[in-house]
Amino acid sequence: MATTPTRTLTHRPGIIRRARRNRIAYAFIAPAVLMMLLVHVIPSVQGIYMSLLDLRQATLRQYLGAPSVGLEHYQDIITGFFSGRGGANIRGLSQATRNALWFTIWLNVGTIGLGLVLALLLNRKFRGRGLARTLILLPWVVPSFVAGLIWRFVWLQRGGLANQILVDWLGIVDQPIRWLLLENTRWALLIPAIWRSVPFTALLLLAGLQVIPQDLYEAARVDGANAWHRFRYITLPLLKPSLAITLMFGIVFNLFGFGPFNIATSMFGSTNHGKYAELVVPAIARQTFSNQLYGYGAAASVLVMTLAMVFVILWYRVFRDTLRAE
Amino acid sequence: MTTPFTNSTLARPGSSATRRNLQQGITNRLLDLLLIVLVFLMIAPLIFMVVSSFKTGREFVNPTGFFPEQWQFGNYREMWRRANFGLYFRNSLIVCSVTTVVATFFAALTGYALTRFRFPGSDLYGLSVLGTQLIPGTLFFIPLYLTFVWIRTTFGLPLIGTNLGGIVLYIGFFIPVSLWILRGFFAAIPVDLEEQAMVDGATRFQAFWHVVMPLAAPGIVSTAIYIFLTAWDELFFASILRVKTLPFGLLLFSGVQSSQTRYDLIMAGAVVSTIPVILLFLLLQRRLVEGLTAGAVK
Repeated sequence: MATTPTRTLTHRPGIIRRARRNRIAYAFIAPAVLMMLLVHVIPSVQGIYMSLLDLRQATLRQYLGAPSVGLEHYQDIITGFFSGRGGANIRGLSQATRNALWFTIWLNVGTIGLGLVLALLLNRKFRGRGLARTLILLPWVVPSFVAGLIWRFVWLQRGGLANQILVDWLGIVDQPIRWLLLENTRWALLIPAIWRSVPFTALLLLAGLQVIPQDLYEAARVDGANAWHRFRYITLPLLKPSLAITLMFGIVFNLFGFGPFNIATSMFGSTNHGKYAELVVPAIARQTFSNQLYGYGAAASVLVMTLAMVFVILWYRVFRDTLRAE
Repeated sequence: MTTPFTNSTLARPGSSATRRNLQQGITNRLLDLLLIVLVFLMIAPLIFMVVSSFKTGREFVNPTGFFPEQWQFGNYREMWRRANFGLYFRNSLIVCSVTTVVATFFAALTGYALTRFRFPGSDLYGLSVLGTQLIPGTLFFIPLYLTFVWIRTTFGLPLIGTNLGGIVLYIGFFIPVSLWILRGFFAAIPVDLEEQAMVDGATRFQAFWHVVMPLAAPGIVSTAIYIFLTAWDELFFASILRVKTLPFGLLLFSGVQSSQTRYDLIMAGAVVSTIPVILLFLLLQRRLVEGLTAGAVK
């Protein structure tokens, strides 16, 4: 898409004229631009500036006039992450980052794995297919704060559905498990998150499966390919664009968004999600609030945003050809 | 017709046709069974939610079985009263409906302009809209709060702790993704029709409103549902701006600090919070599914 220098040169004198000719286009986008400026752009620019300031409860009245600390917050966070030292906040943030990486990896493995199985099962001809698809989509429609509440009671040590099934009905486990305690909270958060992400993933993958031409399978069958080969050499390669998009959603929304935050907050009943279940964005939100470290929180957010951008660029490089081949 | 899994035995030469059919039948039944188990696992927590909301608080910790001993229909009335649920429910309905209408309209205008014009800044704008999705909310929530406070003191617009604040915030939040969903729909609509309309004397806006919007209806509907569902679920910024919507209200009611141990009432609140979005989904799911997957498959 890069324009050559000569083209830019020949176009430059026309820019104002072109802008004037497109007045109507600017009128059409104006409301959206204004809202974006108000809600995203202006506050984010201030946020980036805040990350260079010593902005705490004591200095909040000065706001952007607070004393500057340069890149100190960034330095503290980065060195803290790699050396394992630093204050309680820095250590908490490093721990939350590791939690988030663990969480994101398993979430995507679980979601894409289960989603693919469901999509393949739904992509057959059988009676009640529409009903099955509707039922499977329901967990995605349920608000995530409701999901958190449901799972709070599924995980109850006494009387929770999980322990009832494991101990009383199946008898796999002798003692009721304390799901909302220490390391177990990792799983207590991961499983509801997978439960809520699978439906949409299955839907996207199903849509991807439905456009694969059936005669490819027929031809492969005639050539003697078995089920695994047909899956490996036809389904998987042709599903790659859908898988790429699913992976993108799965990582960006869960690592950098508030979906898991809502689940965890209503599941634990507070914004403190504990050492093992706290992810990066919730950790920054909590520290910013409860310790009133506004400059530090902004710096941590900028680092998270940088990570997100690096990730998107990497993702694009890896899947560029896949997405274009369509 | 059949996926790779369904008749794995077909490819094996030498087996008789009847045996093959039998094996295929068995495989299919097994796959059906697997699907049933998975569907059950997906909806089991929802059944659990509905059933539990009719239990007594004591039955949560001393369960006698999956179903309540006596169905406590009074839970709902009590929850509604004690959680001040009517207020939060009404606020959520107002905030989400107004947001949905306005944000869809703004996103449609913008998506249309981006597909019909190539103006200076159009590429940059399209990209920066996507870029906003990578900004973590924790970066800008304090400046946003202070900006809203500033608007309140300067222009007298009450944006803190009011539905108006929530509406303004969410319109801004949900335009970017909606814009990208809609853009694909507008791109697929041929320009001839609106050009014809404009030759006949319609303005650009009239052509957009009367010709293009009806054609884009499936996209409009799925975008609107997407916005409504997402707005219904927003918790973090609602609590910052103290917008009294359901997620915030239910968090207050069920939070540890409120030492709320009436699990039955919390579950009743969860059920009622889910009903509107489930209804919306069941009514419009065909459109929604078509709309959301259209962009992904092309």
